[in-house]
Amino acid sequence: MRDNVAGGALTEVTFYILISLYQPRHGYSIMHYIEEKTSGRLVLGAGTLYGALNTLCEKGWISGYGQSTGRKKEFLITPLGREIAQKELSRLKELTEFASEIIGGEQ
Amino acid sequence: MKKYRFFGSFLDTQEKWLNKMSAQGYRLVRTGKLMYEFESCSPNEVQYRVEFIGEKSRENAEDYRLFLEDMGYKVFYKNINLNYSIGKVRVRPWAEKGGRIATNSTTYNRELLIIEKENDGKPFMLHTSLGDRIRYYRMLRNPWIFFLVIFGAMGIFLSSIICGVFAALSLFPIAHYQLKVTKIKKELDFREE
Repeated sequence: MRDNVAGGALTEVTFYILISLYQPRHGYSIMHYIEEKTSGRLVLGAGTLYGALNTLCEKGWISGYGQSTGRKKEFLITPLGREIAQKELSRLKELTEFASEIIGGEQ
Repeated sequence: MKKYRFFGSFLDTQEKWLNKMSAQGYRLVRTGKLMYEFESCSPNEVQYRVEFIGEKSRENAEDYRLFLEDMGYKVFYKNINLNYSIGKVRVRPWAEKGGRIATNSTTYNRELLIIEKENDGKPFMLHTSLGDRIRYYRMLRNPWIFFLVIFGAMGIFLSSIICGVFAALSLFPIAHYQLKVTKIKKELDFREE
């Protein structure tokens, strides 16, 4: 369950899905939100998104939201998912700070 | 307009043919075992993908179909085999739980999905992340490994040359999909998605 807390990086797809689910969304909305926020750089295939949503539900990082079943099912991040996202944000901050120190100095 | 074709497990060929029909101004309305019914549309109005879902249980296949329809795609079920018998039962050890016994009323003759998207000028991909593409190609490969084992065993124990030929032929799709898996895995070593 907490296999990521130890410190492994999340995949970009996983992290973006977690971020997009700080408010309830269905699949179509997640896909377009991520595409828009990355200016079209990260476009998720529907099959990939479907698999990722199922995996994240199994892990308990997200869950189905409201009464919606079947059609237009909505998802929302869980407290465990928030914890995971928070850890990933800290990891990325550490990485970008260090990278800016080294790479940023060249400019 | 009706056309009659059978592509079997040549998914890419079927996909190319459907996209060629779309380029000529025909979109799919209905599918039968051999039959594809088209209606006129503007050339390249729609794009097609053919996806193998034979490993899914009936419930999960239906759940996936609804998910794709909610994405705004049109979805058709399609058979991968050509078999008209009614009480068909197939054992699929390579499938997920709930899909290992395939009958006419569950997943038999519903092994493929044809997915149609309105052409918005962007490429139409269903599997985009490296991990998911590996999973998908493994899913396409595994039924052939099962065929290899079954026909290989029958070829040896029954001294059947026909079975041996079938076993040998299944090596081609196994190699085809395994090469894809290996190639993507190498990328995973330095790139994540």
